[in-house]
Amino acid sequence: MESIISVKGIYKSYKKRKSSEIFTAVNDLSFDVGKGEIVGLLGPNGAGKTTTIKTICGLLVPDQGSVTINGFDSLKDRDKALRHISAVLEGNRNIYWRLTVYENLVYFAGNRGVPKKDIRRKVDELLSLFQLQDKKDELVNNLSRGMQQKLAVSVAMLADTDVVLLDEPTLGLDVETGYEVRDLLRKIARDQGKTIIISTHDMPVVQDLCERTIIINAGKVVADERVEELLKLFETSAYQIELQEPLTDEQQTMLLAQFPIHQWEALTLKVNLDQEQDIFKLMDILKQNETPIETINRTEINFEQVFRKLVNEGVAS
Amino acid sequence: MTAFWNVLRVNTMMEFLELRRYKANTISLLLTFYIIFVGMMFGIQVVGDPAQASTNTQYVIVNYIFWYFGMMTLQSIGWTISDEAMKGTLEQLYMSPVKPWKILLSRLLGTIFNHFVLVVVLLFLSMATAGEWLNVNPVTIFPILVLTLAGMIGTSFIVAGMALVFKQINAFLQILQFIVAGLTFVPLSVAPFMVGAPFVKGVDMTRQIMIHGYTLADFSMGDYAWLIGNTVVYGIIGFVFYNACEKHAMQKGLLGHY
Repeated sequence: MESIISVKGIYKSYKKRKSSEIFTAVNDLSFDVGKGEIVGLLGPNGAGKTTTIKTICGLLVPDQGSVTINGFDSLKDRDKALRHISAVLEGNRNIYWRLTVYENLVYFAGNRGVPKKDIRRKVDELLSLFQLQDKKDELVNNLSRGMQQKLAVSVAMLADTDVVLLDEPTLGLDVETGYEVRDLLRKIARDQGKTIIISTHDMPVVQDLCERTIIINAGKVVADERVEELLKLFETSAYQIELQEPLTDEQQTMLLAQFPIHQWEALTLKVNLDQEQDIFKLMDILKQNETPIETINRTEINFEQVFRKLVNEGVAS
Repeated sequence: MTAFWNVLRVNTMMEFLELRRYKANTISLLLTFYIIFVGMMFGIQVVGDPAQASTNTQYVIVNYIFWYFGMMTLQSIGWTISDEAMKGTLEQLYMSPVKPWKILLSRLLGTIFNHFVLVVVLLFLSMATAGEWLNVNPVTIFPILVLTLAGMIGTSFIVAGMALVFKQINAFLQILQFIVAGLTFVPLSVAPFMVGAPFVKGVDMTRQIMIHGYTLADFSMGDYAWLIGNTVVYGIIGFVFYNACEKHAMQKGLLGHY
């Protein structure tokens, strides 16, 4: 697949406030994003996601490394690179609350140098796509959070760039609006063939929308895989065991030592195994006190569990 | 050029909408300006030398109008950057393929254009209240005013650069009002050393036109040299300083901070 974004060995460190300590936000981070891909950029707080996003957007200069967008260096050819990328960086804070929906769209389009005659057509298309026609003359301040978020995304779409970067597109939305935004993004990706990078903590969004995910932790890429591959990698080794008697303290200690990723509630034990044969080790622990087993089932792992495992263990792909 | 025109158009619209949407704020701004002017005018007539009252009133009108204009121009981008950083829209402005300084310049030109209309209204209101009619020949005033404004814009980019790095510069912007007052109220005949200060020469030349009826031909080559030199120097200083601050802000990741 032809690459549209290329992040090569970016390194960025900051001096901590009121101390001489240096904090490394990203450390030799590299990845490529292909044309038309929908990529999830994930990581816990402080992992270096925001630094990565802002570097891609040309808002932050890395100490080392480079970012190219459609072949244009985001620093040396900033203006040309920005013709290929638009972003929603702070959700509903990215728009002017004192302007109406229509005025916001016209302002941001004009600010990118789009001529007046082209703006009207584009704005009408987007108002229709995002179902905002009825709110066209409403001040953003009076809109619901979901409507504001939809407007912020439509402002990014208005630029008609090849790449759209969305930082937390579903943050703070109710379930229904979250699904609505998700459907819109899916429709845009499918119909317009745009490359979309989504940075989020909302794991169902990643599982539902993204084809590939890049997980960052402590400034490094800890996983860069297709979502279904990651799920497949873990789904074969997740088990849920219903017991008839509680585990003893000794058994719990052994479990913790051998299977760090496990949950123990009432008489239910959920455990992730690194290898299939580890099931025998698990059985040995149960056999030790002859703990009776009610049922044993393979469980369907969700992406949140995969993410936690990768981040906690720092497993590289 | 077409792209810049489109940017200028939407930013002028944005500033107009702001003035219209916050009507009460705009009206109170104009009323405050007018009331202070009336206060100063009566002060001159009650306390000052009656023989000089007419000339002093004319000086007050011109100086006060330029003070308002100077404040608007110098503070505008500083407020814009500080305000947009606080609201979260500043980074979105920097995501445009149009260079950020061009966007800020067009926002400033939009402010100047909208406030110019208000300034003209205030000027005529002040003249009518004082009964002192000044020479407002646009053909004579316009070229001097444009060059003076260009110098003001250059200086305002110094403030913009500071706002980009420090963001919370409200206290400085308040103090700036008094600096601008000093630059506009003190005539060059009293303080000739101020000829190199930002926009002082231009304000002085405009005063000569409006109060003493000068034409463009009445100014010496030296006057024009100071005026143009002042504009070019502050234009360059402003542009270079702003770009250095922008580079620093991007290296330190300060664009999204407040």
